[in-house]
Amino acid sequence: MTTAIRTEKDLDALAREGEGSLYPRGLKLLIGSASCGISAGAREVEAAALEALKAAGLDAVVARTGCIGFCQAEPLVDVILPEGPRVCFSKVTPAGIRSLIEGYAKTGHLKADAALCRFTEEKYVSAGTTRPYPPGTNGLGQVPEWSTVDFYRPQERVILRNCGSIDPMSLGEAVARGAYRGALRALTRMTPEQVVAEITASGLRGRGGAGFPTGRKWDAARTQEADAKYFICNADEGDPGAFMDRSVMEGDPHAVLEGMLIGAYAIGAARAFVYVRSEYPLAVSTMEHAIAQAKAAGLLGKDILGSGFDLEIEIRRGAGAFVCGEETALIASIEGRAGEPRPRPPYPAVKGLWGKPTVINNVKTLSSIGAILARGAAWYAGRGVEGSRGTTVFSLVGAVKNTGLVEVPLGISLRQMIYDIGGGPSGSKPVKAVQTGGPSGGCIPAAMLDLTIDYEKLAQAGAMMGSGGMIVIDEGTCMVDLARFFLSFTAEESCGKCAPCREGTKQMLRILTRICEGEGKSEDLQTLQRLATTIKAASLCGLGQTAPNPVLTAMRYFGPEFEAHVKDRKCPAGVCRNLTTFKVDESACIGCGRCVKVCAVSAVAGTAKKAHRIDEALCTRCGACRSVCPADAVINV
Amino acid sequence: MEEILVKYSAEPSVLIPVLQDINERRGYLPRPMLEDLAARLGIPLAEILRVASFYNAFSLTPVGRHVIEVCLGTACFVRGSNLLLERLEDLVGVPAGGTDKDRRFTLRTVRCIGCCALAPAMRIDGVTFGKMKLDKVGDILERFQ
Repeated sequence: MTTAIRTEKDLDALAREGEGSLYPRGLKLLIGSASCGISAGAREVEAAALEALKAAGLDAVVARTGCIGFCQAEPLVDVILPEGPRVCFSKVTPAGIRSLIEGYAKTGHLKADAALCRFTEEKYVSAGTTRPYPPGTNGLGQVPEWSTVDFYRPQERVILRNCGSIDPMSLGEAVARGAYRGALRALTRMTPEQVVAEITASGLRGRGGAGFPTGRKWDAARTQEADAKYFICNADEGDPGAFMDRSVMEGDPHAVLEGMLIGAYAIGAARAFVYVRSEYPLAVSTMEHAIAQAKAAGLLGKDILGSGFDLEIEIRRGAGAFVCGEETALIASIEGRAGEPRPRPPYPAVKGLWGKPTVINNVKTLSSIGAILARGAAWYAGRGVEGSRGTTVFSLVGAVKNTGLVEVPLGISLRQMIYDIGGGPSGSKPVKAVQTGGPSGGCIPAAMLDLTIDYEKLAQAGAMMGSGGMIVIDEGTCMVDLARFFLSFTAEESCGKCAPCREGTKQMLRILTRICEGEGKSEDLQTLQRLATTIKAASLCGLGQTAPNPVLTAMRYFGPEFEAHVKDRKCPAGVCRNLTTFKVDESACIGCGRCVKVCAVSAVAGTAKKAHRIDEALCTRCGACRSVCPADAVINV
Repeated sequence: MEEILVKYSAEPSVLIPVLQDINERRGYLPRPMLEDLAARLGIPLAEILRVASFYNAFSLTPVGRHVIEVCLGTACFVRGSNLLLERLEDLVGVPAGGTDKDRRFTLRTVRCIGCCALAPAMRIDGVTFGKMKLDKVGDILERFQ
């Protein structure tokens, strides 16, 4: 790409180039190479594929792509046959890909018995078109169509529209699927005011957690008179259990940049920052590459798309502080200081980075923007429910069969999420609760799974949407221990500036630890309630104001479990060590010996293929034996 | 130091990126370098130490040849990462945050590395290991001498 893109025609030309790289004439292999794919062995699979293709004398393009969401089935490899369709293989090993390629070279037929799904068409969401593969199943009729697989059926991908389908290093491929069409419309045919009105009409709310209407935030900054304004992408995805922002940056970086470009134009900012966690090295390098590429193509820099609008985007890496997800703390961090929040108002839209009007939007919010501008507000608002429009991404993880990133219109039920998409619990234990919103959110019990997922319903239940972490919990998790876990997180991540949060979380943690250790006192539960109320009311920023939520919801929905710890000195889930005794169920034990191997204190003994025994006097009740037992034979009595 | 500073403009906001660079090259922030930095940037050493100790990514003490990071995110927690951490503390022989006396390993905990679908996960020298089983940990450590 040497010439700058100035007009629609230039964008069309780049799109044609990208189309050629998306669908080369011959065979193409697409390797899922996001962080999750790489840690599951994608690089080894790629090397084996290249070697096998060479040995077989096959001419094929091997390309890398982001994550298509089905993380647990990584490494994923898609094979695009010259005559169609695209077939997706899961849990691919180097040996597996070798035999697939050898077989294809010999017979001209793809052995797809084990394939996950196939695509008969591609949806170009921003462009509003579909690109069908050549008709005919090519002998692959038995492979289920993508949209009929349980995990994908209820999904609608807007934020993740290109993840897992394009090479994130290719600007052309993104443009072929509609990237920068929204920016073109906004910058060349609309005033900033009209752009804001379009976003307001779409009903988009911030996807970072609090759900503030994006159009209103932009308008507040747009109407400020100032000599400089700033735009920030909040990619400090600190909520443990959420990783969709990482996946978007690794899989479709131009969607984020396009959203920033449109937002900066709408508020009149000439300088923008991406504040990204340093725990995400691949996201950082992918975003850096995309920024350089966009700049070379004239999509960033001076006089973008001939509109007279200038924008520079820089990356700032976080340094590992959860509180920096809070916008005023994030600003302090970019300014080079310790990330401590300050009271609001003034809101950053009025007084933000270096005292200037600043808008801060989450990655998911921003990657929705380009599609909204390209397709129109009405198209977007047609998804979701009243008050919660559009789609959002959840990371469905924990004790559930199908884990990964799921994008759905707002308003589906938790039950659909966990059972239809997630396939139900992963182990033999039933689902006990689902945790949403991370350390700021709460646990919703299994009895309430018919609750629909929207901002208000989750808040009424005491949880929150948060940034989209959805962790399924089964009967093997102790709710008191989980509440303690979240409090240990917030107590450690509290920046220490205000006393209610700094001291209050510490005291709550002390009490919860005491209860888990079997030293709980009868008044502890009331004290926890009282502390929680104070911390929520008196803390300076969102971290403290929401920190008690996990404890409050756990106590509200799992009261008897707390009582059992305090009154009966029992941990029903068998997690809290002082309140648990382990035993081997001799009728279930298969005598495999894995428990013997992991026991740090040699408390488990037994001969192969015979039932094992735990010596209670030696046992430290760590539960290591239970965690490795393939037969669920270690039980809590 | 010259080499690091040449990349940055004179804004005070460069402090964190500069510290990140030093931390990546040396594995930690050596005190003499911080003193040098304070003089060059005109920022009091106390302020630099305040920033360096606020953020988890910075270490003020030397690290081992290999850095193990155990993910303590929620998804990993509900799939037993605390047991994984205990196993590692046992095998390495130091509590979380410590470095063994041969300086072979530094054992740390980290708040979510975003590989939640592969829980429980850990990272050694930046390489992620997912779906960890307690009886496989020892074999993995053997690969890092």
